[in-house]
Amino acid sequence: MTIELERGADQTLLTQMLLQHQVERFYYDEAALLDAHRYDEWITLFTEDTHYFMPLRRTMPRRQLHKEFTQPGEMAFFDDDHLMLSLRVQKLSTGTAWAEDPPSRTRHLVTNVRILSDDGAELVSESHFLLHRTRLRDDLDQWVGRREDTLRRDADGFKIARRHVFLDQTVLHSQNLSNFF
Amino acid sequence: MTSTSPDAPDVLDGLIDLERGEIDRRIFSDEQIFELEMKHIFGRAWLFLCHESQIPKKGDFFEAPMGRDNVLVVRQRDGGIKALLNTCTHRGNAVCRAEEGNVKNFMCTYHGWTFGLDGELVGVPGMSSFYRDELDKAQHPLRQPAQLASYRGFVFATFDPDAPPLEDFLGRTGRLSLDLIAERGDMEVVPGIQKFVLNCNWKFTVDNVFDFYHPQITHMSAIAVGAIPVSTDAIDDGGAKNEEGADLSVPQLPTDAENVVMIAQYGHAISGPSQHAVEKTAGEAYRDVFAWRHTPEAEVAFGPEGNAVGGHPHIFPTSWITVDCQLSLRIPRSPGVTEVWWFSFRDKKAGPAERAAQLARQIHSFGPAGLLEQEDGENWSQSTLQTRGGQARRVPQALKMGLGHGKVRACDGLHIIESPVNEYAQLWTYHAWREWLTGSSWDELRERTTPGDLL
Repeated sequence: MTIELERGADQTLLTQMLLQHQVERFYYDEAALLDAHRYDEWITLFTEDTHYFMPLRRTMPRRQLHKEFTQPGEMAFFDDDHLMLSLRVQKLSTGTAWAEDPPSRTRHLVTNVRILSDDGAELVSESHFLLHRTRLRDDLDQWVGRREDTLRRDADGFKIARRHVFLDQTVLHSQNLSNFF
Repeated sequence: MTSTSPDAPDVLDGLIDLERGEIDRRIFSDEQIFELEMKHIFGRAWLFLCHESQIPKKGDFFEAPMGRDNVLVVRQRDGGIKALLNTCTHRGNAVCRAEEGNVKNFMCTYHGWTFGLDGELVGVPGMSSFYRDELDKAQHPLRQPAQLASYRGFVFATFDPDAPPLEDFLGRTGRLSLDLIAERGDMEVVPGIQKFVLNCNWKFTVDNVFDFYHPQITHMSAIAVGAIPVSTDAIDDGGAKNEEGADLSVPQLPTDAENVVMIAQYGHAISGPSQHAVEKTAGEAYRDVFAWRHTPEAEVAFGPEGNAVGGHPHIFPTSWITVDCQLSLRIPRSPGVTEVWWFSFRDKKAGPAERAAQLARQIHSFGPAGLLEQEDGENWSQSTLQTRGGQARRVPQALKMGLGHGKVRACDGLHIIESPVNEYAQLWTYHAWREWLTGSSWDELRERTTPGDLL
């Protein structure tokens, strides 16, 4: 038995695959910049009106799970506009940001990339991450979580117009968050 | 000053030397000392649990630490507040495993014993068929701390029935510390408590509250990007050089010269720049931020000496109040592990712009991603690590800055030292810490932690 795929369906799938590939490649390139400490280039991936946000997570009973994450306007670990994100990058380049000097060794693993919506100008994507950090002789930190991004198309590809980072930890098991997610 | 009650172990001998300004490093890693801290400090002191605004409705609860115990602070049906030890009186399981929320009962997930919001045992599965109706439920409520009280919305509890009333324990200095939040308006906690774990002894986190010697070096990168204002002057480098051998240029903070220290009974202290220095440093752009300090109500509430306070208050043992309306709680989990919690406050009546600006300052200064606190944890964890070395632990901590020049001025019930950057409040805290550990009575403790004329 043969299954005849309609040419139209084929085309849709190819378009989706191409977009998936473009988004994943964007994330891999981004991860490479971070792991190589190329923060000056990394910051250019963000739009001027970006919102980089990492809410707090709370251990809540199942029926109150809708309150698990704090919202913008409440307490957060990161709640940054472009200026604040740039300040963080500048701080790292001073050579006296001791939490990153000697520098951490990081590995950003990005998986489970799903494109949730696409209106042509912007798309919303979800990705899972594992950020593995070793520091000094034997410091080891791992953060696992989910990112929800708004990626805006521009001439160069994508810019990150919004990144919300949802950690899987409630009590944070690391002494700082001096890296980017 | 160093006499101990008969049951005080020898391990405390010679740990704190006020005359030499030296501290024995064993206090940061010794298991036996940690056990004594749990018993004599965290088993007796009034400990901050939460703010009343976190549990506005009946059945609202917030889980808070009291030493190694965990209590559920619960809004009662009658509007009151109780703290309940989070352990089932049957087999000990936690009766609640969420960190905050709202419940009608606490039901143990082991066998179903059910406790009311007031901690009374109200339900026992198999009461008739298994227990033959012979279990006296009144004998098995959730246990409560010996005393619970609020000061202006700040909820504290103590396990010691003999502890003096909360307001007496806080004294003028402790109350002033909390007034620096409460006096700003109709205050509430911003939803979300930052919680993170440091590999350090809790006393390093306390010591640092009063340390205005470290920002120039520890927070050099934050200064470089403008997160801390500096003057164009530098302080003398005292021969300090960077790794390349160049003279270390240490920027002068405008707050360096003008510090106010208040030391108080039971180990409470306030130390840091004066309010005048803080405002001068912050400049015109922050005039509105400090407007609340200059209302007639606030000036009356703080009194002339209180109005001078701009630096960091600390309520012994573990509560720090910041300039930007936050309370940081430093929770000892073991000699080498401390959890830091950040409670951030706002005025319910503040407008959206004011709220947003304050929240941004709160998020971006402290906490694990804060431009300042990112660097702090590393100092404390490395300091703790080195106290474990067989030889390194024998090197005393040196708190000698200004030693013998700390002239104490008693005024209006407060004990004040005016000085440039100094280490008086740290020394005072360690002195009081040691007095707590001797297990002396409350009267003895009060007497031995009453400041003298000189530090």
